[in-house]
Amino acid sequence: MSAPDAFDLAVIGGGPAGASAAIEAGRAGLRVVLLDEGRSAGGQVYRAPVSGTGASSGQPDGAVGDRLRADLAASTVDCRFDHRIWLVERGFRVHGLGPDGPATVEAPRLVIAVGAQERHRPVPGWTLPGVIGLAGATNLIKSQKILPGRRVVVAGSGPLLLLVAASILKAGGELAAVIDANGRMDWLRHAPQLMARPDLVGRGAKWLAAILRAGVPLLSRHALRRIVGDDHVEGVVAGPVTGDWDPSASGEFQIACDAVCFGYGLAPATETTRLLGVKHEYVPDMGGWRAVTLPDGSTSVAGLYVCGDGAGVLGAAAAALQGRVTGLAAARDSGHANAADAVERLLPQAARAGRFGMAMTGLALPRDGLLSAMTPETIICRCEGLRRADIDSAIAAGSQTLNGLKSATRCGMGPCGGRVCEDTAAALIAQHTGLSREAIGQSTSRPPLRPVPLGQLAGAFNYLDLPMPEPAPQ
Amino acid sequence: MPKGLRIDETLASRRSFHFSFEGREIPAYEGESVATALLAAGITKLRCSPGDGGPRGLFCAMGVCQECVVSVAGQAVEACRLLAAPGLDVKVQP
Amino acid sequence: MSGHDDSTSYDLAVIGGGIMGSAAAIQAAEGGMQTVLIEKSELGSGASGVNAGTLSLQIKRVRLMPYAIRGHALWEHAGDRVGFRRTGGLTLAFTEPEAERLTTTMAMKKEAGAPIVMKSPAEVAALEPGLNKQVVLASYCAEDGYANSSLTGVYYRGLLAGAGVRVHERLAVDGIARSNGAFILITAAGPIRAKRILIACGGWMKDVAAMLGVDLPIRVRINTVAVTERCPPVVGSVIGHATGLLTLKQKTNGTILIGGGWQGRGTPKDGRGEVVAESLLTNLRLAQFAVPALGSSRIARVWTGFEPNVPDFYPLAGALPGVPDAFILGCVRGGYTIGPYIGRLMGDLILGREPEMPLFDPARFAPAKAQAAATH
Repeated sequence: MSAPDAFDLAVIGGGPAGASAAIEAGRAGLRVVLLDEGRSAGGQVYRAPVSGTGASSGQPDGAVGDRLRADLAASTVDCRFDHRIWLVERGFRVHGLGPDGPATVEAPRLVIAVGAQERHRPVPGWTLPGVIGLAGATNLIKSQKILPGRRVVVAGSGPLLLLVAASILKAGGELAAVIDANGRMDWLRHAPQLMARPDLVGRGAKWLAAILRAGVPLLSRHALRRIVGDDHVEGVVAGPVTGDWDPSASGEFQIACDAVCFGYGLAPATETTRLLGVKHEYVPDMGGWRAVTLPDGSTSVAGLYVCGDGAGVLGAAAAALQGRVTGLAAARDSGHANAADAVERLLPQAARAGRFGMAMTGLALPRDGLLSAMTPETIICRCEGLRRADIDSAIAAGSQTLNGLKSATRCGMGPCGGRVCEDTAAALIAQHTGLSREAIGQSTSRPPLRPVPLGQLAGAFNYLDLPMPEPAPQ
Repeated sequence: MPKGLRIDETLASRRSFHFSFEGREIPAYEGESVATALLAAGITKLRCSPGDGGPRGLFCAMGVCQECVVSVAGQAVEACRLLAAPGLDVKVQP
Repeated sequence: MSGHDDSTSYDLAVIGGGIMGSAAAIQAAEGGMQTVLIEKSELGSGASGVNAGTLSLQIKRVRLMPYAIRGHALWEHAGDRVGFRRTGGLTLAFTEPEAERLTTTMAMKKEAGAPIVMKSPAEVAALEPGLNKQVVLASYCAEDGYANSSLTGVYYRGLLAGAGVRVHERLAVDGIARSNGAFILITAAGPIRAKRILIACGGWMKDVAAMLGVDLPIRVRINTVAVTERCPPVVGSVIGHATGLLTLKQKTNGTILIGGGWQGRGTPKDGRGEVVAESLLTNLRLAQFAVPALGSSRIARVWTGFEPNVPDFYPLAGALPGVPDAFILGCVRGGYTIGPYIGRLMGDLILGREPEMPLFDPARFAPAKAQAAATH
């Protein structure tokens, strides 16, 4: 392995948080490297469209993303896109796989800004082609410039529901229905915190108005019971939910469609921070398990900072501000004393944006009644094809932590690394045992952070040059 | 070619080409992922799950879930992250 | 099964719910002792549950061969419950010096009772066409195979319940006191009393022995294991390397497990070990060299496990020096294969029976003072 490139600060993730952190730290005088698996900065929320010039035509989000990309391009930050990070060693050594093969960078300080991932609650049929996540749908529509289907059902909870539905309508697509587990009262209950950002509330109201104007059925306090189809989605069966979001308690009806966008909010992506031994806590209103951070992004591991949705799902506006604070804090801690004042100045703004995000995240949080839509045959772990009955029987036989369940059943051992199934598996353990999420725990994070081709990691080598230690005694 | 599910107003100005999926010629525009071009061509089932045998396709659309993996030159690749390119020979995973 | 206010006075408390602690606890309970087992995490969550699962007589030390053969038979008996498969195993040499080493070591192991035969490159190619054709010599043992180590916890949870062992999972022993000749284990769930204790907690043994004032020269290796996602069949036998620095097998689900004792970093006190890229990459290169088709597979997961050892790399199995009624079991090289058997022997020793095979007295590492105390 050749000597890794050395920097003052490495930033993983080029979304609003990571890019802002990198820009601020660079301005303060640090040598910064930013790594992201995307082909440009912006993250999921401000992902650049594939088309033509790269300019994001007319969308408010697009303009913010374009500005972020322009600021980054004008900065001193060494940007390495299309780099998939597969391992981070303490100290810190960041190992990526880029377009030219393995690439390692080294820095005494590290900002992790890897964002969030979608949270799911399975229903029968959710593995059918044509079912995609809500966050995935925004990526398809905004960046890939394609509709998920000809006639789409949008279902689940939280602000992404309205965003996806409104984007489909705006693009000229057909919406069969919007199915929201929350009722109007649930939205209203969060109004006080939402008013921290009237501009963002205004956007949400515009989305809602567009949906109503188009005459699309907006089914509040409803949820999917199952998705039907053979080799592809042909429709959904939905029903009204109880206060606990149990959709199986009363009547049901079918809606024909060829695509379903489905999700229950976002959860912080914690695999990298878990790998590095950062202390985590379970905070439902911030999306579940999160790295414990101080307001300046610092964590229980010296030199390691976390910002953006990965430290708690508070949305893009909060992420950008948090990113700036964190980049400045890293500069301050590297001895650039002038950055300290700027940190203090930005903190209140970041906190205000955070309150809005927390209300949105709380609104999306799935309730336990959704577990009753999962029949014994419903697949929970998509990678391994494990059904609810498999999970239930392992829990009954004594597997009461995520690690225990993983060993017993292989739930979470597939190529997704448990990112899709673990929250549901934990909810099932909690339902069976009454244990807290803290007692059930998270699974131990294992590298690679994403599956990586062995041959690309190994690269070209000469057998006789492999450094072989002296074998143990026979 | 027909616009179908594609929603880019500037489509006409983008370079188009074909790649192959299981021997079938798939039209694509520059910048599109393999998953996007397949979706536009009406192909959503990308594999059968090795765990339960059921059909699978694009799901998370951001390189996390690994449900859309296809095979290129014997190598597993996520169709949602793989840029479509002229002449690319994409197969269903063995 | 775990609970609070355990006021029973036990005949035996076992600290550590891996293979050896569980097997010893079961043997003691079946011999009539009222037994409790305390595991700080979950059963089989340490090395017992994260090792590569290789059941190979070819990689066992000569002196441990009789134990390995008996341990192997116990895993075979466990069968599907632990994913046991006898696939046969090939150990490969790619250079003349490696072939010489292989010839010498395998002759000794054959002498010790392992049914090992040597194979020519042509025979190897016929048996396993997916291997690198640069093999110059290989050894083969038809007994070799593997089991699924991640099922260790589930397997022993059932056996422990059947034997009537009281099990406390997710409960750490914070200290050990003595009172009226009994041991008092201090835990968050309250004190647990027992007449005898067995320390069998793998990488954490040194710290627990220290609670009783015993300092043993235990060090810990941090072994790395990697697994690919499911692949089409490429190799049927368990594959090893003349240096012992590679183990490789394809499971029935298509995943390929790669080990060989490549070192990560970290200490048991920190919790988990850390994967070291350079070490892992050499392991993967060696694997890819042996099985070229691996190059197009994807690595799905890499992890580490703590394997304790003492300077002579033989087991610690017997009375804890200087502490009457305390026992220790661990540091068995090849502990996954040998564990179920040596655990039974340990149970017999604690029951006051003569074990059918000799154990490995830890007094060999004790300072003279402790040895003197032990003989009184």
